[in-house]
Amino acid sequence: MDEKPVLTVNVVTPDGPVYENTTDLVICKTTVGEVGIMPNRLPLLASLAIDEIRVKTGEDTFDEVAVSGGFIEFSNNVLSVVASAAERKEEIDTSRAERARKRAEARIAKAKEQKDDNELRRAEVSLRRAINRLSISNKK
Amino acid sequence: MPASLQEVKRRIASTKKTGQITGAMQMVSTAKLNQIQKHSESYQTYASKIRSVITHLAQSHLLDSASAAKSQTSQEGKLNTLGMLKQRPVKKTGIVVMTSDRGLVGSYNSNVIKQTMDLIKDGGHNKDDVVIIAIGGTGAEFFSKRGYNVAYEYRGVKDVPTFREVRPIVEAIVTMYDNGLYDQLFVCYNHFVNSLTSIFRAEKMLPISAENMGVDDLAVADEETNYHIEYETEPSRDAILEVILPQYAESLVYGALLDAKTSEHASSSTAMKSASDNAKDIISALELQYNRARQSAITTEITEITGAQAALD
Repeated sequence: MDEKPVLTVNVVTPDGPVYENTTDLVICKTTVGEVGIMPNRLPLLASLAIDEIRVKTGEDTFDEVAVSGGFIEFSNNVLSVVASAAERKEEIDTSRAERARKRAEARIAKAKEQKDDNELRRAEVSLRRAINRLSISNKK
Repeated sequence: MPASLQEVKRRIASTKKTGQITGAMQMVSTAKLNQIQKHSESYQTYASKIRSVITHLAQSHLLDSASAAKSQTSQEGKLNTLGMLKQRPVKKTGIVVMTSDRGLVGSYNSNVIKQTMDLIKDGGHNKDDVVIIAIGGTGAEFFSKRGYNVAYEYRGVKDVPTFREVRPIVEAIVTMYDNGLYDQLFVCYNHFVNSLTSIFRAEKMLPISAENMGVDDLAVADEETNYHIEYETEPSRDAILEVILPQYAESLVYGALLDAKTSEHASSSTAMKSASDNAKDIISALELQYNRARQSAITTEITEITGAQAALD
């Protein structure tokens, strides 16, 4: 009877599901702060920051998934992470991310020069995405 | 007697080769079609998720703003701060036309282009208040040749486009809307029905309104997914909407692109199939002709020989 309650996480992107697992704790970073989600929580909707999602897999081990924004929806013990792009830590293409970082930096410099606020904002977002991927994949 | 034996023979050989090529192309298109259909399935899970959440959120948002609008109609401009839900007075219309880059796809391109022209005409638009966003070379050339304002064109969409690749396109489309380049957006493409049929579809994607959000499907969907769940939201509903709406718009455009590509592969496969069939018909007709010619040549030869023999005797 006293089986530990679990929740199902699935991460979906336009290019298909990226990750699926059951766990008893997920930690994600929303735009206003970190939130830990455990089974039988109240339904929740939150927008995500460009950061990582950590899914507890063991006593002290976590699976890490990099997400580029998007949102989470939790109901009936199912947590859906809906993001326009997401990768598991192992699948991050570091050389690609590195290139993206350089590109974004160049764009920022150019946008600053031309005082193009829209472009600057977009470039900053892509820079943040690239840095996020790099920092997650470099982490032990 | 028609063409000489040699000539017919040559024609048979060349038709056979053409038939081989079209046969190979058909198989390639069919393979691509299978690939993209698999891909579309995985996209569907994403799309349905995002749609269910957005319907839920937007419904309450629309209701809120509707009731609020009733009480203070004068300030409606301030109430609806969410750009994508706001109905702006329509000065310019953006039309996304999805065509293929290459030919050999049967009536695929002409179908889209013709119906898009009809849409422009029926909507009472003219060259000045229409902004074309062309995805695919054929459409881009067609509209720029006719003096339309082609604000954005993109060629070389992959056979199975991934979201990562087309992200710049969809982002550009949504940003142009945000910047007020157009006040409503139609997406025109061929919707894939099955491998033999596809129908033209023109969808109004922006501004996002109740009708294009599939709210009418709500009654059906309501039983499966629980829309009536009361969500805790973080941050506020509107702030989340602001994040989700662009994502939703992007996913809509991407979905249309996938659909268009699917139907492109399908119609390419059908076109190539009928080309191969035609090649087969021509070959059998030619072979008949060849055999007749051969037969009559033999008959002539025999007559000549027997004639010569008779003369000798």
